[in-house]
Amino acid sequence: MMKFGNLLIAGITTGAIYAMFAVCVSVWYRVSNILNLAVGDFAMVGALGVDNLYRVKGLPLPVAIVCTLLVVAAFAYVYDQVVLRIAQDGPQRMDGIVVTFFFTFALSFFIDGIAKMLFGTDVHAAPALWNGASLSLGSLHFERAGLLVLACAVIIGGAFWVYIRFTLGGKALEASGENSVGARIVGIDTRRYRRLIFVGTAVIAAVFGIVESPLTGFTYLSGATISLTGFLAAAYGGFRKPGRALLAGLFIGVLEAMLGGYVSAEYGDTVLYAILAAMVLAWPRQLGFESAVSG
Amino acid sequence: MNGLLASSRRPARRSALAASRVPRGLTPTALVAVVGTVFVLIWGEQYTGSVFVLAACYAIVTAGMAVQIGFSQQIAFSQSVFMGVGAYGVAMLNTHYNMPVLIATPIVLIASALLAILLGSVVTRASGLALAVATLMLPLIAVGYVSGTGFLGGAVGAPLPGTLWPSSSASTSVALVGGGLIVIAALAVAVFIAARILTSDIGLELFVLGVDERTAAALGVRTPRRKLELFVLGCVFAALGGAVYAGTQQFVPETLVDPTAELALLIMLFIGGRRSVIGAVIGALVIQYLQGASNWVSVNILVVEGLLLTVVLLVDPEGLAGIVTTGVGRLRARLGSEAGAQGDAATRIWRSRRPDAGNAISAEAGATAEPGAASAGTAVAGTAAAATRPAGAAGAGTRPAGDGRLDGEPREGALLEVRSVYKEYGGLSVLEDVSLTLPERGLFALCGPNGAGKSTLLNVIGGSVPPSRGEVILSGADITGRPPHERFYQGISRTFQSVHLIKGRTVLDNVAVACLASHRSSIATRIARSRLDDAREQASRALADLGMAQLAGREVSSLTLETQRMVELARALAPNPRLLLLDEPASGLSEEQRQRLAGVLAAVAARTCVLLVEHDLALVAQVSERIFVLASGRLVFDGGPSDFRSSPVVNTLLVGS
Repeated sequence: MMKFGNLLIAGITTGAIYAMFAVCVSVWYRVSNILNLAVGDFAMVGALGVDNLYRVKGLPLPVAIVCTLLVVAAFAYVYDQVVLRIAQDGPQRMDGIVVTFFFTFALSFFIDGIAKMLFGTDVHAAPALWNGASLSLGSLHFERAGLLVLACAVIIGGAFWVYIRFTLGGKALEASGENSVGARIVGIDTRRYRRLIFVGTAVIAAVFGIVESPLTGFTYLSGATISLTGFLAAAYGGFRKPGRALLAGLFIGVLEAMLGGYVSAEYGDTVLYAILAAMVLAWPRQLGFESAVSG
Repeated sequence: MNGLLASSRRPARRSALAASRVPRGLTPTALVAVVGTVFVLIWGEQYTGSVFVLAACYAIVTAGMAVQIGFSQQIAFSQSVFMGVGAYGVAMLNTHYNMPVLIATPIVLIASALLAILLGSVVTRASGLALAVATLMLPLIAVGYVSGTGFLGGAVGAPLPGTLWPSSSASTSVALVGGGLIVIAALAVAVFIAARILTSDIGLELFVLGVDERTAAALGVRTPRRKLELFVLGCVFAALGGAVYAGTQQFVPETLVDPTAELALLIMLFIGGRRSVIGAVIGALVIQYLQGASNWVSVNILVVEGLLLTVVLLVDPEGLAGIVTTGVGRLRARLGSEAGAQGDAATRIWRSRRPDAGNAISAEAGATAEPGAASAGTAVAGTAAAATRPAGAAGAGTRPAGDGRLDGEPREGALLEVRSVYKEYGGLSVLEDVSLTLPERGLFALCGPNGAGKSTLLNVIGGSVPPSRGEVILSGADITGRPPHERFYQGISRTFQSVHLIKGRTVLDNVAVACLASHRSSIATRIARSRLDDAREQASRALADLGMAQLAGREVSSLTLETQRMVELARALAPNPRLLLLDEPASGLSEEQRQRLAGVLAAVAARTCVLLVEHDLALVAQVSERIFVLASGRLVFDGGPSDFRSSPVVNTLLVGS
């Protein structure tokens, strides 16, 4: 039972991370109809950037964090202004799978390459924000970084939910993705929302990278794995539904921990992927795969 | 369409010319074979040559991906895994059974094909994104398996003693050059097969499948079978690439199967040009060259790949092949415009003489056909004028006397019978006990308020929606459980409420899709022959029947809505259907355009049975000989146009009291 409890805690912690990346992917997909496959790379840049500024350059930790987040935000802004603007707002609007996947896919490669140049190939992590031994409740153990991740997930996830559900901006955001021409006709600046959410999710991803990295450690290639899990969880949530993406992320995290703990530490992930594949094939409609992306 | 560059973009006229000059697929194959052989013979022993041969191994894989992912848009991430199956298979047979690589390769290919059929028959049930996500798991599972079990060297990799060049006593340089030549030969075969398939009639099927699976099924494409064939093709090409990779590198790294390898393959495909076989080969070459160059570029390959992919896609989503095609096209146009300045001037004068060409078609027709040719608009109007009389006769409720003249058959019993069909979605009842019978010829209309179940009934007849209960009988045979593509073979043809034409293809090809005779054949047969020209011929006849012959070479998305609807109608009519289902063909058309359409429909109804869903009651009453009215899923009216006009039920429901 204790084992189950600890596995559950570990599962919920990783699940919360997956969930947040899934939410970032699906919220932006809802606005722009583009899948952000670079979301994990922003997280990686957050973690390695803070580490580099703090440990190598010797800046104070808060300054390092703020600088890193500013750089991420500025980069995301410039990317939107240059690449996405040409791709989506240009004379001939591109759509279909090229835009949906491949621009952010290229972005992911680009960021990874830059990170390799700047930060090298070693495993690093941002310094722990909340130091100390893991907390215990009976025989249940809580990593401090894990608790921080959960707290961030609850706060940021909650704020997102309130924004989408209850504000005019949230409605406008939804309208932009549903029908961008229609949204523009009724006076919604769809480009502004696309940019806002892109920069916002990039910064959120970076924050999660910083908070999470003490748990696992990052290399310049870690981003792709994170993006992949975020993409998968978002896919199981039907891409347009951040709420379901969140649940899917938690589910994948818990399932991964349970398989690792009870089935096989070595083949846990392999079994996990097999189960996920089987689920897609068994219930494509129910999981929201049909009609999610076309062309 | 010689498959050389971005084959989908070539207009039909040019492709016909190309087909008469060079056999299909020969140009890219010859290009690959000649350039590859020369390169290997000159640089085969040097480092450049080894990079080139490695690129050729990847190019075999990307050539398959161009068919599967680029052209048919079946996004399955199975290539890196099957590259691994090919490479590890060869390594295993070579290491453990001492089998020469050249003999191991065909064995491994057969095994891969069987494995792909097994796997594919499960995963290709999924479509679109579900297929992508389900197959995305394959590399993840494979890499977990290889590193977890320590299969053939596990995370370290598997070396193999044998070389692709069969003689073990050959000197290193002979083995290098000979192995390289074998790889080039394999690549040439792969390119040949891929290019032949893309330029065949099945190539057209695959293009439609990629654009819209539902439309493809309604046009007779056996989508499940094609998807499986594509999956197997992609896997076998990948396994071949993997096998020659193992033979030339003499080492199989674990990284061959992991997701990053899959991503690298996708980058090659999309930089080169996703729909072009040669583009895919060039993409593999470019990326491998950049990776192999031992300088700043190869150290920072990720940055370079990211930038290159972004820039190329921004310039043209069809990649390098698209850029080259557009460039060549512009050059040709410039050269052509100097030579043909006179003709151009003539067109301009002709255009300016028709200031009333607000209808875009007239102007367009002038641009494509010789000056003075009838525009589509007027031609259709002509047909309409000729056909209004039979419509009047049919409107009276009696059939024109000469209705059997087309096929000489005596008029028999019912063509279509819908027997008490019910359709429920969850608890919601959309159709309740609907029965109707249609004869061999005539024009029948289905009316009703929004949400009455009209389109659902049409879908039940067309086969895209299975009824909850009830039967659909065509000429006495129960077709209730038959899929849409089989109903298409039995003579049911349809249009959709919104226009479902295949963008990126010409009008002629859009119509030819409905005339293909390839549905029952397998993809493999298309390496040998293609009946695409027959289909195009039948299509141009169908277009000529509707007076639209001069539009044949136009790309469909450049047409006006009316013309697009007319093209859809031509496509539905081209296979000479027995039953034509039209879902709101007049929506979005002006009154004048509706009148033209009415004329065309009346002419069509003289030789086939037409069931029309329509909101325009005046049009319905004008053209139909019998009208069915649905309300809340029930059939509430069934009668001729005069009863229809006076019926109180109809007036309350549709006109408003």
